[in-house]
Formats: sequence, C-alpha cells, structure tokens
Amino acid sequence: MALLEIKNLNAGYGDLRVLRDVSMEVNEGEIVAFLGSNGAGKSTFMRTIVGLNRAWSGDVIMNGKRLTNSPSEKIIKSGIGIVPEGRRLFAGMTVTENLEMGAYCNRKDIRRRMDSIFQSFPRLYERKDHLAGDLSGGEQQMCAIGRALMSEPKILLIDEFSLGLAPTVVDSLTKVVQDINRQGVSILIVEQDVQMVLEMSSRAYVMEVGAITISGNSKDLIDNPKIKEAYLGM
Amino acid sequence: MKKKNVISFALFIITLAVLPHLVSGYWQRVLTQTFLFASIAVGSNIIIGYTGYPAFGNIAFFGVGAYVTGVLTTKYNMAFVATLPFCALSGIVLAILLGIPILRLKGHYFAIATVGVMETIKELIDNMTELTGGGLGLTLPIMQGEPEHIYRFFYYAMLLCMLFALLLSYVISKVKLGYALRAIRVDEDAASVMGINTPLYKTFAWALSASAVGIAGGIYAYWLSYIDPHTVFVGTYSVKMFAMILLGGAGTVMGPLLGAFTLELISELIWSKFIAIHGMVLGLLIIFIILFIPKGMFETFKGGFSFRKLLTNLRENSL
Repeated sequence: MALLEIKNLNAGYGDLRVLRDVSMEVNEGEIVAFLGSNGAGKSTFMRTIVGLNRAWSGDVIMNGKRLTNSPSEKIIKSGIGIVPEGRRLFAGMTVTENLEMGAYCNRKDIRRRMDSIFQSFPRLYERKDHLAGDLSGGEQQMCAIGRALMSEPKILLIDEFSLGLAPTVVDSLTKVVQDINRQGVSILIVEQDVQMVLEMSSRAYVMEVGAITISGNSKDLIDNPKIKEAYLGM
Repeated sequence: MKKKNVISFALFIITLAVLPHLVSGYWQRVLTQTFLFASIAVGSNIIIGYTGYPAFGNIAFFGVGAYVTGVLTTKYNMAFVATLPFCALSGIVLAILLGIPILRLKGHYFAIATVGVMETIKELIDNMTELTGGGLGLTLPIMQGEPEHIYRFFYYAMLLCMLFALLLSYVISKVKLGYALRAIRVDEDAASVMGINTPLYKTFAWALSASAVGIAGGIYAYWLSYIDPHTVFVGTYSVKMFAMILLGGAGTVMGPLLGAFTLELISELIWSKFIAIHGMVLGLLIIFIILFIPKGMFETFKGGFSFRKLLTNLRENSL
C-alpha cells in the first residue's frame, strides 16, 4: 500500500489553476524524485500537500487517512515532514532552538532525536549555538532537514534540495538523505539537477505546466529522450 | 533568569512599593499613570512583540475594560475589585471573537483592521446610551476615604496590574506557547509546518494580551471616576503604547516596561513644559528609535550603553 497517495489534486491561486489533476504516490521506504522546470507547479504541489495552500479538489491520503485541506499541524502529526523551499529557518533562533521547534508536536525524548541528527550532521553540532540566519547555505539546508526530521516523519518532503549549494555539499547531503532513507523514512524530493536525483531515487515523476507528463523508474528515465531534451540540453 | 537580574528586579519592585510613603501626591499620580502605560505596553507586547502582529488598536480592550467596570459598578452595584475579572474576561472574549476573522490578516492590514475595530467599538458604545450613557459619559461611584489613602490605593492597584502583565508575559516567554509565538513571528508558514496550530496560538496570544489591557482599563475608569468614549478610546494612547514597546524592545519581557518608564518620565519632565509641541516630540522620538535603536533599548544596551552602538545601528539600518 502506498504511504502517501495523491489523487487528482487541483489547486491554484485566485483564478489561476496551477495543479491539474495531479496523481502520484510514494511507497514505504522509497525515494521518489519530482522533476519539473521553473513554474511547473512543484512548490505549489508541496505546499498543497502540507496544507499551506488550499486544494480545490482531489485527495491527499497519508497512511490511508484523507488529509486534504486539513490544518498543517494535523498533516505534520500524521507523519509528514517538510523541508520547505528556501529552507525557511527561524533566523533569530539558534540551530538547537530550530531543531527543538521541529519537535514541537512531540517532545518525548527530544534529546535522543537531536543527538541522532547531530550524528548525521556533525557540522550542525559544531554550530549548535549559532543563529540559524548566520549559517552558510549548506549548513542551513542541513538544519532544515534536521528540523524536519525532529518530528520523526514517515515521509520527508524536500523542496529544492540542492538550490544554491556547492556540488561537494550536495554530494554529502545526498549521502545523508540516503542514510535517512535506509533508516526507513520515505523521501519525496524536488530537484532541478536531474542526473543526480535520478541516480539517487527509485522512481520519478515529471511535471509540466501543472500536470504530470512522465513517470516511471528512475533508471529508465535517465535515458528518456524527452527528459534529456528538456533538462540536460542534449 | 540570572540571579543578578532577579535581585535587581526585586529591588526595583520594593522601591516602587515603598515610594508612595516618600513622595508627594503629584509624583504618586505620575507613577500611577506610568504603571498604567506599562501595563498596556507589557500586555500588548504579547501580541505585538512576541507574535509579531501589530495590534495598533489594542486600546480597544482598554476602553472596553473601562466600560465594563463603569457599567458594572453603576448599573449593577458591583464592588470595584469584583469587576476586574470581568474586565479581563471582556478582553479575552472580544479578542477571540475578533481574532477569528482579523488574525488572518498580516502586517499593516492587521494593524489597520485593529484600528477599525477600535473606532467601531467606540461608536457602538457612544450609541448604546441606555447602558453606557453615550456621549454624556458615565460617572462612577467615587471611592470614599482620605485623598492620600485613595492615591495610594490606585498606586498599588496599578502596580499590581503592571506586575500581573509582567508575570503573564514572563510565563508566556518561558512556556511552549512562547516558543510557538516566536516561531510565528519569524515565519508563520514554517511554524505551521512544524505542527504549530498557528490560528489557535495567535488567538490565544491576543486574548491574553487583551486580558491585561482590559484590567488596566477597569482600574483607569475607577481612578478617573468619569469616563466617556473619547477619554478611554484614545488613538494617541495607541501611538504611545507602540513607541514604548519599540523604545524598550519588542518581544522582550522587560523591554516595554523600560520603554514605558522612560517615555512617561521624559514626558512628565520635559513635555509638560512644552505642551504645544508634545506630538512633535513623540514623532521625533519614534524616528530616533527607528534610526538608532530599532531593536529597542533592552537588546541594544544589554552589554552597557555606548554611542558607538547607536552609530553602528544608524549605518546598518540606513534606507
């Protein structure tokens, strides 16, 4: 059974329809890539899943429970964690406080969880008393991922994973994300670096002007001529 | 809280507690007025500073609190002290009812909406002549006793009100709610995907803020013993409250208190001699705050006062 299932989701802003009957699913333990050029509607899609945008119609089903247009906190409690576009850290708070905020809903053995995040990101431990706004881009992304993991989600949504990050930073972050996945967290990742994300994911969806046009196994998609044309300029 | 801070705060309170026995009636009145504004500023800071919602019209709760005491003491013959819980309650209920629609707005829009609310409530009270006396106002029963005794009574009542607001604001800053409010101030969307029920917490913050402001209104009404819509729904009080919060430091526990004391005492010492340019001085002061101490005195001068900090702020915050 799919862990997160989206059925015929429609959403938009004002009169503008951005998502057109989007259907997709993420199974337990999978890494799923979500591709699309700028303006395709990827971020709107992510925002709609976590309840920051109203869905016009359709279903968001997590673990068999319908969550469409539920308040965000209910969606988060159902086991979805999100690393929002632009990271959206709490700039005036320290790294530790940001991680604590991530555990807002469930503060039981918060120390253990924080330790495990510091283990995944030793760099964050060094910076734990710094203000989140003073961190470098890579450290901010680590902090955002750590913060999302503090709620012990079953699925982690990562929007614009590598945006503005140096390739070496992306490499190490990728390894951490794969580690997290091995620990049993499903991952839905929005990314522009198609090559990289297709290598790390098992399946992928491609969104164009608000609708999913291509989907399949990542291995097959790497050779798909349309993807090559659209993203790799080949 | 650091030990040093606890001791200096205790000394501050003890000083205020013994002061009425040492100073003249005039200064007792000045200080009572200062406590009044401190209560409003500290209480309003919960929604304005902690949560980041500029409730410019928070004085609405002050006015309503004043009228609750006014109506309950005159029409229902209640004792003054017994009306105070109702003042708090009126603020809480009103903030919840108004918060559901208005707290969806942000920034300037929210600020303007609260001003609208204040004006509307003022008009309503102005027109509910049977209950509130309308434009004729409401004369409250005058407290019996020696003038000196009465001065002290209101001095201590306002002091307690201020301490209540401080306690409320301190406790909020230390509990889970306070963290949620801080997160909402920085980034409301991010806060809601942390699993924070933002509409609930915002409303809660506004209600608590309103309760403190409402009590201050109740005491004020009894102190003045005569209220009409124009003496309790005062736009300039909003400006003053905002200036105090900004001057002291929005979002800190002690900042608004510091701001209220500084501004009220300055006003008493200097403005009373320049009554005609009263508004101009207030305006200049706000400009000064924004340019030189945008984070407020409390944050800026944590490590001690220096002119260098003022200049650094001016350079960093120039437009």
